Amino acid sequence: MSVISPTGPSSSGPTVPEMPDVGDLKARRELPGWIRTLLALLGTFVAMAVLVRVLGASPVDVGKAIYTGSVGNPFNISQTIITTGILLATALAAAIPFSARLWNVGGEGQMTIGAIAAAVSGLVLPESWPSWLLIPVVIVASMLAGALYGAIPGYLKARFDASEIVTTLMLNFVAFNAAAWVIFEVFPEGFVQRTESIHPTAELPRPWEGWFVDIGIFVAIAAALVAWFIIRKTRLGFSIRAIGANARTARLAGILPARITVQAFSLAGAFAGLAGALIVQGRDHSLLQDFSANFGFVGIGVALVARLNPLWAIGSAAGFAILRVGSNSLQAGAGLSPAVGEMMIATFVILLMVAKVIKFRYPEGSDAH
Amino acid sequence: MLTEALAIAFFVIGIQLMVPIVLAALGEAITEKSGVLNVGVEGIMLIGAFATAFIGITRGQALLGIVAAVASGLVFGLILAYLYVSRGTDQIVTGLMFNIFAVGLTGTLHSRYIAGQNGETLGGIDIPGIQSVPWVGEIMSKQNLMLYLAFLMAFGVSYLLNHTWYGLYARSAGERPMAAESGGLHVRRLRYPAVIAGCAVASLGGSALVLSTSGGFVPGMTAGRGFIALGVVVLAKWRPLWIFIHAFGFGLTQALQFLAGQLTALAFIPRQFWVALPYLITVLAVVFAPGSRYPAALGIPYRAAGQAS
Repeated sequence: MSVISPTGPSSSGPTVPEMPDVGDLKARRELPGWIRTLLALLGTFVAMAVLVRVLGASPVDVGKAIYTGSVGNPFNISQTIITTGILLATALAAAIPFSARLWNVGGEGQMTIGAIAAAVSGLVLPESWPSWLLIPVVIVASMLAGALYGAIPGYLKARFDASEIVTTLMLNFVAFNAAAWVIFEVFPEGFVQRTESIHPTAELPRPWEGWFVDIGIFVAIAAALVAWFIIRKTRLGFSIRAIGANARTARLAGILPARITVQAFSLAGAFAGLAGALIVQGRDHSLLQDFSANFGFVGIGVALVARLNPLWAIGSAAGFAILRVGSNSLQAGAGLSPAVGEMMIATFVILLMVAKVIKFRYPEGSDAH
Repeated sequence: MLTEALAIAFFVIGIQLMVPIVLAALGEAITEKSGVLNVGVEGIMLIGAFATAFIGITRGQALLGIVAAVASGLVFGLILAYLYVSRGTDQIVTGLMFNIFAVGLTGTLHSRYIAGQNGETLGGIDIPGIQSVPWVGEIMSKQNLMLYLAFLMAFGVSYLLNHTWYGLYARSAGERPMAAESGGLHVRRLRYPAVIAGCAVASLGGSALVLSTSGGFVPGMTAGRGFIALGVVVLAKWRPLWIFIHAFGFGLTQALQFLAGQLTALAFIPRQFWVALPYLITVLAVVFAPGSRYPAALGIPYRAAGQAS
């Protein structure tokens, strides 16, 4: 079935022949993006309602549980805001390499290394340091650790053309075991699966009486602004976007893909490391075993829903945080495991792709890797 | 001290740990050869493991559990194929999200129905005469049906990919889908069975995991074995028999943590290092894998000519 397009074959690579077909022309008239987003959301709710029913629970109870669990009282609202900050940071870690068409699926591991750095520096640095000094130093330590860890797959990709998907996935597990080592061997806290608590002076302040929310959300929003500035207004950001748009043209324009790859991954690692700092300094005040609810992976969904825009990611992160935190009340509210939240998030992102709210472009006629 | 008993135990455990990786990697090889990257293999294994444990616990039959795993692989393989092939969703994101979905699904079902229960396991198989062979006899007598199944699968997948018309056509869909379509083949019809069959084989990896341990399910019990399988496939250059050999290496590496725990000379190295070692080796292996060439169309959804994107 070979049809040459009326304009003739283009000079480079295989062409996609244009076939006039009434059915397909109809299909091209797509619904507006926000309607497709709502449809995906609706589809997620229907799918989950059916599943919940099959499990013998009431979908209404699930809805109520997620509502009260996420925004029903000051404690839960605080948890949702804290989680928004964490997911925003991991979303930045995904968005920056994705802008260069690089797959960072190692946000989970980079975040873990950041959390380790926060816990260790929050324990080892002098307790006598004032908060205004200790807090930023611990944050910077986490971001540096995350950046270094992120640089590894970047370098391996740039130097050896090693699939960043495989390397980042593997390095996640290396990071988990490093965390387990720190928790159980280096700074164990009795029989609890966590390290000793970090110095109170390294904790992010909770300035509001009666609320449990710390200032981490503002740190995360500041990070989003910085990420937006880097992507949109700097030479590095331009290079990242240029490679994402067309790697060959970018190279011809004098951009060095190898260098940008390492820089993009380091930057991503720094933001993932920040997520680790927000968890340790803000939420937990120590390093916990299994502290992450797939935050690194969910951050990929957050970034994609926001179309890789760091500022939109703020709203996107809040939406995912409501689902994530709300699901924690499912056991009490509907007799279901909080794991239902995982299914909801995954179904939503997949349906967003089916509805083509999240779209991908692929280099034509090129190798996939 | 490294005693003979310890060395034998090391190989027994190493081979048991090899089997799930072999099966997952064989399934992934079929799928990838047709041009679809299934990062969701981890989730497929997890669901297969749950299905085996669920049937093993509720029905008390290990073999029926294996059948259930294959059935779960076929069903979720069909769903994934629909997403990857018909809807053309991005394979990497879809796969990752499917893994999260699988964690959620199995976690929910596990806590509701079979939390904390142990089920059926498979016993060792006696091959006549092998008992008299020193070492090998003792190691092999501890291995169950899944090892032999994996062994047969390796030959079966090798035959399928290299010696059947389907294998040839599927590979063409993975390399030059446009050319395949021009030659009168249907890329989508070739990719569907590859994804579904790949998932069915990979879900057996989950069965092997359950049936060689307690017969019960533990949330997240695959612990990245599906991802290791992705690395093994690259390392073996998509050749089924080499997958078997490379996975053996990874099984032994995973078994090192049990060996190291018994050797006082290695006590100064933290236990977590040994657990992390297979993942580290996968990174190194992918970095230094000489001349691994991915199927050219891997990861790119195929859109038929004229189809709206």
